[in-house]
Formats: sequence, C-alpha cells, structure tokens
Amino acid sequence: MSNRLLNIWLIARREYVERIRTKGFLIATILIPTLMGGGMFGAAELASKSKTASHIAVLASQPQPAQDLRDELEHGKNSTMTVEILPLSTSHATLDEEMKNKQLDGYLVIKPATQAGQRPTFDFTPRSTADIATTTAIQEALHRVLIREYLAGKGLSAIQTDALMAPVTLNVLGRNGVRGDSKSAFLVAYVLFFLMYMVVLLYGMNVARSIIEEKTSRVFEVLLATIQPDELLAGKILGVGAVGLTQVGIWMIAFGLLAAQMGATSGVQISLAQVIFFVVYFGLGYALYSAVAASLGAMTNSEQELQQLNMFMMLPLFFSLLMLAPVVTNPNSVVSRIVSQIPFCAPLLMDLRVSISMPQPWEIALSIGLIFVTIYAVLWFSSRIYRVGILMYGKKPNLPEILRWLKYS
Amino acid sequence: MPIVELNKVRKVYDTKVAVEGLSLTMEPGTMFGLLGPNGSGKTSTIRMVIGMTMPDSGTVRLFERPLQREMLHRVGYLPEERGLYKKMKVLDQLVFLGRLHGLSEAAAKQRSLAWCERIQITEAIGKKTEDLSKGMQQKIQFIAALLHDPELVIMDEPFSGLDPVNAELLLDTLVDLRREGKAVMFSTHRMDQVEKMCDAIALISRGRLVLDGSMREVKARYPRNRVSVVFSGDESFLRHPEVEEAKQYAGGADLKLYHEAGAQKVLAEAVARGTVLHKFEVKEPTLEEIFIEQVRASFGREQAEGIANV
Repeated sequence: MSNRLLNIWLIARREYVERIRTKGFLIATILIPTLMGGGMFGAAELASKSKTASHIAVLASQPQPAQDLRDELEHGKNSTMTVEILPLSTSHATLDEEMKNKQLDGYLVIKPATQAGQRPTFDFTPRSTADIATTTAIQEALHRVLIREYLAGKGLSAIQTDALMAPVTLNVLGRNGVRGDSKSAFLVAYVLFFLMYMVVLLYGMNVARSIIEEKTSRVFEVLLATIQPDELLAGKILGVGAVGLTQVGIWMIAFGLLAAQMGATSGVQISLAQVIFFVVYFGLGYALYSAVAASLGAMTNSEQELQQLNMFMMLPLFFSLLMLAPVVTNPNSVVSRIVSQIPFCAPLLMDLRVSISMPQPWEIALSIGLIFVTIYAVLWFSSRIYRVGILMYGKKPNLPEILRWLKYS
Repeated sequence: MPIVELNKVRKVYDTKVAVEGLSLTMEPGTMFGLLGPNGSGKTSTIRMVIGMTMPDSGTVRLFERPLQREMLHRVGYLPEERGLYKKMKVLDQLVFLGRLHGLSEAAAKQRSLAWCERIQITEAIGKKTEDLSKGMQQKIQFIAALLHDPELVIMDEPFSGLDPVNAELLLDTLVDLRREGKAVMFSTHRMDQVEKMCDAIALISRGRLVLDGSMREVKARYPRNRVSVVFSGDESFLRHPEVEEAKQYAGGADLKLYHEAGAQKVLAEAVARGTVLHKFEVKEPTLEEIFIEQVRASFGREQAEGIANV
C-alpha cells in the first residue's frame, strides 16, 4: 500500500513541478487576473467617465435658474461639468466657432416664459448630438432645479427641500433580523461559481491533455511496466489539481492583499464558511471532472478526438449554468434541492446554495458522499479503459476482459 | 530453472490472432534472441512477459513463479516505441523513472550519472530531452531500463535506429550485463547480431513458434550445405546437378547444395572445367538463411519474399 502511495506521490510531484516550471503557468497566473482586473477597472473607469465633464455655456437673461443649474451640473451626482453663464445676447456664431475649436461642448439657451406659471424654454445645441450623457445630465439637472424653484416658491426652506428630495433607503433584513448585504452575497456566490466553472474546465482539460501527451509520446508504456494505471491516473489528477489550486491560491492571496490595501472599500465580504465550503467543493468538483477528463483522455488518441468528446464534460457544466438562475432565486425549492444533489452539478450548485442560504447539514453531507462515490466509480472505470484502451490498439474492452483486469490488479 | 517460462500462451486482439500456442523457456544468465518478421507477435509476446497485457489462455511464469506485479522491480524493460517526457531534463527524467522502480532519490541520481558516463552521454545530462538527437534519446531510454539493476532485462528492438557505432556500444553493454550474470532477452530482426551474441533463440512467425533452442542446437539441425566461391573463368560448374540454388555476383557466387557431400563433386567439376578458383568455402547456413527459409515455409513462398527481405 505504501508503495502505491509512493508511486502516486512521485507521479503527482513530477506533474506538479514540471507544470509549475513552464512559462505558460507563469503567464497564465499573471495574465489572467491582469486581464480580468484590467477589464473590471476599465469598465469602472468607463462608468466614471460617463459621468460627464463637458464644458458648456448657458445663455440666460436672468441669474435664476441659470445659477442653480450651474451648481447642479458642476457638483451634481452624475456630472462634473464646467458651466459658464453668459448674457442671452451672446453671439451664437462665436459659440459655434468655439465648439468647432473644441473649446466648448455645447450651449444652452434659456428663454424666459412669456406668461406667468409657464416654464421657460430650453434650447440646447450640443457639439455632437451623440453626447447623450451631457444631454441627459442637463435634462435631469433642469428637472431638479425647477422642482426646487417651485418648492421654494411655495415657502419651503432649502433644508426641507433637500429632505424631500433625498433618495429612499430600503433595508433588506436577513431571517435573523440582522441587516444582510444581499447584493454582495450574490456577487460572491456568482464569482465563486464562475471561478470554479473556469478552473474545473481549464484544469480538467489539462488532465486529459496530459494523458494524451503521454500516449502520443508513449511514455505510458515505460510507466506501466512498473506502476498500475490507477496509480498513474490518481497521481496525474492530484498533480494537475495541485497546480490549479496553486494558481487559484495565488490569485486569492493577491486579491486579498489588494483588497486590504484599498481598505476593503468594495464592501464585499467573504465569510470563512464560504471559503471553506468553496475549497471543499472545488476540490471535489475538480477531482470528479478530472476523473471524467482522464477517461476521455484514455479513450482518445489525439487532441482533435478529445474535442469531439468534450461535450460530455461541458454538458453537466452547462446544465449547472442553466440551473444557476432558478437556484439563486429560490435556493430551497424542491428543484434546487434535487439538482444540487446531482454529483456533477453539486460542486457548483450546492456551493452556490451554501453561499446564499445555508442548506440542511444532511444535504451537504449527502452531496459530498455522492460525489465521492462517483469519483471512485469514474476513476475505477477510467483506469481500466486506460490500460486496456491504450494497449489494445483501439479495441474496446468488454466486460469479461474488465473483470480479468480487476482480478489481475 | 527457467527465469522466463511461457506455456501455450494465446493472445487475440479483436479478430487478429497475435500469438498462438506459444511455449518457450529462457534460462537465467543467458542472452535470448526473439526473432521474427514484422508483425509476427514479438511485441505482443514481450508485453505478456512483463504483464502489461494478459494472455487469453496459457500461463506466464517469471522467476519460477506465476507473474506478480512485485516481480517487475526485478525486470528492466525497453519498449519498442520509445517514450520519454520531452520537456523534462535528462537527469530529472532518469531519477523519476528510477524512483518509480523503487530506488531512493540519492541512489537513482548516483546511478544515472554513472550510467551516463558508461555509455558516453555525459554532455546530455543537463539538457532537455527534446533537444537531444534520436540516438541520444534511445540511450537515455536504455539507461532508464537498467537503472534499478534488474536481474532480467527485456528489450524490444533495442538497436533499431542507431548508427553502427552506438549500436555496437549498446550491444557491448548487453554482453557485459550477461557476463555479470543478468538474463537478457531482446527482439530483433538483425540476424548478424543474434548470431554473434545469443545463447538461445526463438523464431516466431505469424504468432507461432517455428524454431527454438540454443544457437548450437539450431545450427546443428541444418546441414553444412552452403558454399561460397570466388572464381574467374568458366562458370558452367554452377549448373552441376548437386547445386540447388546459385546466387551469382561479380567474381563469385553463393551456392546452396542438396547434400553436404555435394561440395566435393562441385569442386571436382570446377577444377575439371579449368575454372580458376580463388576461394572455395563450405559453410553451415547463416541464421539469416535459416530465418528466411523458415519464414517462407510458414507463409508460402511468394508472400515471404516481401516480408523476409526487410
């Protein structure tokens, strides 16, 4: 037995060391989070850029509402614009010239109402009609300014007006009455789900590829002269899996350090339980999918053939993806409880349920148990396929043959 | 006390019979040549000997006991299709394979270095396998099979693809191993090597054993009916009735006679006709000739031309 463990350890260590040493690992470890972070940062940057900072001129005959509008636009929620107030008589030709030279993004002409109780007319000439952000900001600012003016006219103080116009806060309470941050709980669940999905898919395929590589380079024939196929498979899965965990670990630590640096301003909180369950379900899900990938690798002779069988791995993952919405909206429904017990979906869906609303302990225990049984069965099956498949020149093993292998080992 | 013993082994792949009713024994401390044309079942036989595949019927015994996995630590195996991790450094690779065979890290390393020196590839030690020439890779594979000091060495086509210098080097190494008391079994279709080195042979054709025994026994079964002549002048003696077959080439001929005694009659005929003889040598058939004859017999003549002349 210890001999078997030693063999598994040797195989796993080789797989791990050789993979960690490659440039590909280094590049993926650095590049993937950089690209993802860059993408997220870029999106955030874009969003803040859409907070318009245009430079406009307001042509008005009276100080009000032009000055209120300027305050609103220069320090408002959605805009940091620069606003110049010019007399109504300013020549439009000069302004057009300034717009042409890109010194000005547009000008707004406020014509006072002709009758009392009517609104003034607002004519906006933008430099580009596609600048929707500026147009919208001006429109919203005008709306607020006019309401304020109206309320002030009705005798309300500035403080009363502010109180009236403040947005409403809706407190979402957890079952225990504690204020829960449902948004960040969902966010964390989603992020964990996709992280797991990606890594399982990526590293599962790596197991299959590494087996095919060994078949094409014929190394297996040397290896099988001393060790058994299940040792080889187990070692491969552990080794490649450890590489995946290392990579995710590096990302997590980097992310944690970054979050600590930025003072956790995001408000996203991951509880210890979430982390523990993630690690447990990630490990199990990874092992299960790797075992499936290993049997796919054992059945095929080239990467192209593998691509064709890929769907066997993708199908349960896609199914889990489809079930994401129903489980999120109703984590304790019968459907959610059933699909989260399916061994191929459990690592993703049960983990999601754990992050959203803790299921019964027996449900967790049952799902883990089922995954273990499935892993064992798949591994048993694929190690047979492996040995028979690679040495029999493509002949498919039949039942008596498998039984004989079993008896032999 | 045979070290390898196959008894009526049969192996069928799908519909193709790879090995049929094969029995052979190999004594410890001997060098054993497994011969046969391409596709005759040599590799299938070797795979069954090291337990990589199981016979459909019949038994395989190693070290006088039924085959058990633990025995494989005492066996060194060189597969026909070489397999090494391309991206791995040579020393790492050898240490890894040595450890799988039960060596400690330190022992594996020390032996790898010693072997690299012995077969003259010290310059390869720090390189990646994919940067080496094919011949060098084969030497690495060769070391990998011998690292754990096996009692039984089994090599499938060990010399294919090697230049004569390196083939000679590995051949000498195998001879040394035999001298150290190891048993060496290898398959080949290069008869000259087998004739020089092997204590015993088995010739397989179409999955069946056609000939086996010690080198002396095998040769003794065939009459000394081959004549090699170098001559000039009249060549009509080649058509003497005792001559079964004559292969003529520039300045000479190889003859096959019906009887051993025919040689004297042919010689007398040549002298009588005034042919100038530079050489007239009576020989036993070479292993190659025996091989071709046997393979032809097992196939039917026409088919064998293509196969035996590989």
